[in-house]
Amino acid sequence: MEPIRKDELEAKDCGSQAPKSKPCPRPKPGEAAGGCSFDGAQITLLPIMDAAHLVHGPIACAGNSWESRGTLSSGPSLSQYGFATDLNDNDIIFGGEKKLKDSIDYIAGRFAPPAIFVYSTCVTALIGEDMDAVCKEATGRLGIPVIPVNSPGFVGSKNLGNRLAGEALLQYVIGTGEPEDNIPLGVNLIGEYNIAGEMWDIEKLMNSAGITLMSRITGDARYKEITWAHRAKVNMVVCSRALLGLAKAMESKYHIPYFEGSFYGAKETTYSLRQMAFLMNDREMERRVDRLTEREESRLIQDLRPYRKILKGKRAVLYTGGVKSWSIISALKELGIQVVGVGTNKSTDDDIARIAERVGDDTEFIPEGGASRILKTVRDRKADIMIAGGRNMYVAMKEQIPFVDINQERHRAYAGYEGLLRLAKEMTYSLANPIWKLASSPAPWDKEVPYDR
Amino acid sequence: MTVSKRSKPASVNPLKIGQSLGGVLALQGCYRALPIIHGPQGCSAFPKALLTRHFREPIAVQTSALQEMDVIFDANRNLEEALNTILTKHRPDIIGIIGTELMDVAGVDYQSMLKSYKRERNLRGGLAFSVTLPDFIGSLESGFSGTVEAMVDELIQQAGHRNQRSVNSRQITLLPGSFLTPGDVMEIKEMISAFGFEVITVPDISTSLSGHLLTGFSPLTRGGVPLDSMLQSLQSGLTIAIGGSMERPARRLHNAIGTPYKVFQGAMGLKATDDLLHFLHQISGEPVPLRYCWHRENLLDSMLDAHFQFAGMSVIAALEPDHLYSVSQWLEELGVEQKALITSCETPVVSGMEREVWVGDLDDAEVLGSGADLWISSSHGLAGAERIGAAFMPAGFPVWNELGAYMSTSAGYRGAMDWTNKAGNLLIRREAGRRESSVRHR
Ligand code: SF4
Repeated sequence: MEPIRKDELEAKDCGSQAPKSKPCPRPKPGEAAGGCSFDGAQITLLPIMDAAHLVHGPIACAGNSWESRGTLSSGPSLSQYGFATDLNDNDIIFGGEKKLKDSIDYIAGRFAPPAIFVYSTCVTALIGEDMDAVCKEATGRLGIPVIPVNSPGFVGSKNLGNRLAGEALLQYVIGTGEPEDNIPLGVNLIGEYNIAGEMWDIEKLMNSAGITLMSRITGDARYKEITWAHRAKVNMVVCSRALLGLAKAMESKYHIPYFEGSFYGAKETTYSLRQMAFLMNDREMERRVDRLTEREESRLIQDLRPYRKILKGKRAVLYTGGVKSWSIISALKELGIQVVGVGTNKSTDDDIARIAERVGDDTEFIPEGGASRILKTVRDRKADIMIAGGRNMYVAMKEQIPFVDINQERHRAYAGYEGLLRLAKEMTYSLANPIWKLASSPAPWDKEVPYDR
Repeated sequence: MTVSKRSKPASVNPLKIGQSLGGVLALQGCYRALPIIHGPQGCSAFPKALLTRHFREPIAVQTSALQEMDVIFDANRNLEEALNTILTKHRPDIIGIIGTELMDVAGVDYQSMLKSYKRERNLRGGLAFSVTLPDFIGSLESGFSGTVEAMVDELIQQAGHRNQRSVNSRQITLLPGSFLTPGDVMEIKEMISAFGFEVITVPDISTSLSGHLLTGFSPLTRGGVPLDSMLQSLQSGLTIAIGGSMERPARRLHNAIGTPYKVFQGAMGLKATDDLLHFLHQISGEPVPLRYCWHRENLLDSMLDAHFQFAGMSVIAALEPDHLYSVSQWLEELGVEQKALITSCETPVVSGMEREVWVGDLDDAEVLGSGADLWISSSHGLAGAERIGAAFMPAGFPVWNELGAYMSTSAGYRGAMDWTNKAGNLLIRREAGRRESSVRHR
């Protein structure tokens, strides 16, 4: 069992609590891609399923973004409602605070949510709306937490938005409640958003090892479970550097140890489960984890056999937009796939070091985005498949490159042992599809062969 | 007759889509074009993601990537940087700069910046224009038509008075509205050319977003109407606009260079298609091609077959203004009850409708449409339709839970027939489902 190394606790990227010398790079006009901080804040907080999420600004920020993420709920669906103050030009001239207040009251009255998150956007931030004051006043008056999230799009990247959302949780939510008596102390998962239901697979695994999932921050979460997150015994940051700051703050404020881990690939999954048990400091639990992971791994090896036969030696280009790269690489390696190119545009030095540990010398690092750059790597390195986010999916389709979607909008869960098997299947189906041959062969009349009667 | 609004402070489940997205969509219909959204990067990332999801195609769009301090101090420096990068790297034929509401609020004058940029760089041969599309007014539809208008303006400017306009009376400029799918645009183009006309479509999403197999990635648009055809369109003898929102760009062409125009509010359903074909027949002197006579009969027959299914049924539709008008006309012909019609913003077309129209959101649709049998809206309406137990028919924008939505055709007799069958089938399945569940639970 490896203990966590001290140096792993040091993060020096834009996702850490206090960015030191290297801030997030400025996006380049004319060649920038990617979402804004407001988007990032929503990614982190929308999975709190029973809360209402109100966007304060003109319609587009909410109207163009609601229902765009693959985070699933096992019950309440209020978070899937698109709420917006929908400011018009008059509101902007005379100020939108009144409308904001009325909207909060309306939502509280009609939907009775346990909490309302209010997001600022560029316009409301620019005209200097005092959102904090409106929220504070409403909290007092309505008796439910109304939480301001100050993450307008123009302050920076998605990652920064994740972090600002984490800060809002720390400031307004965590530590404001106490767990119900019958809940045993356990682990918080930070930065796992239940995309395609991955959280459920992870939870099942944890339960079979006897580990309690205390607070989900925030995949398929209920508001109140986050209020008592400070009582957990361990925090796990699930491959999301942006929320490392949250884990660090909880360590210094509430003395909860944390570690960074991933559930992509059997090895990482096993490591994460073991690390939980180790930090819980419970011998019996460690033994249970060992038994579970051994059993699961050996079953997985059996199940993977037919797919590995097909996948072994295949070459992949991986472009996840940063953070998840290293953990997915482990998963791919377990399937026998060679990663010949990997995107590092949003990765920190730490991430890059971890990527380097996991790939061979001839792997190309793709430092900045742009579909053309990715495609060039695919061609130069003779890759068989591209693994990337939905934004690049149709670019790959045009080039007739087999593709597997790995980001926000995807519909398949790839976490845990089950997830790895699903990933193997998905890649196999994608590679074996008849369309690649059909699409690349010309129409019969374009071939120089006469019609054979 | 009346346009109403339910009073509530917040928008709940918005139907409205930002104007700037409409602008990006319009530019997808021009060849080798690149829209630049002048604003923070989120303002281009969201439309790009949403359009990609709907059309299942790569979408060309760039951003001036403003950050907080740029907005406050010098937003145009970013725009200049974006233009420099784009011109040196990709050399687009058409650049459309779309100003967001943030530029309005911050009072940034990018129009004059663009003018002097063009003068300094001696930009010739291409088309570069700007259009202001704040999101606190209008909707997708007005963003689209506003962009086409700005584009037409720039075209007229570009052509100048260099040569006396020679009119080609066999050539028609088609201005299709934002609610038409690539499949619709294709259908309408075919109808017009069936009468012997050359058609130049501005913008033409039917050749860019209908699905193509061109390889060789480019950040610019890969299909659509090329710039030289656009310039040539100034010689057209007539403009045909489909959708009330397209009247303004048609009128620009008329006022500036004298091209007469005809606006059709829609091209869906029996009567609307009759109108269009009758008009084409008259101005061309050509007979209506036999195939359309067949299509007409097919449509009428399918309506006869389906009318049992629609009898006593009620429908709720929540769509962009022009689209709502078209769909409502078609529903009229089916003889179903139109329980509530909801749209994103008020326009002359909807205020002129004989039925009550609500400006609102999908939550209003849920409340006003309670008890409806069929729900027609974008994919955002699915949850609401389920809550009120209506069969759900995706239409408009965005549609992501159905393959081929972008090619689904409602224009012409064939389009109306498709839609009639689709809607009827949804009702049949809903009824069967109900019957089954009532048996099981007894
Ligand atoms: S960048 Fe600002 S205005 Fe644009 S979508 Fe993001 S929050 Fe809204």
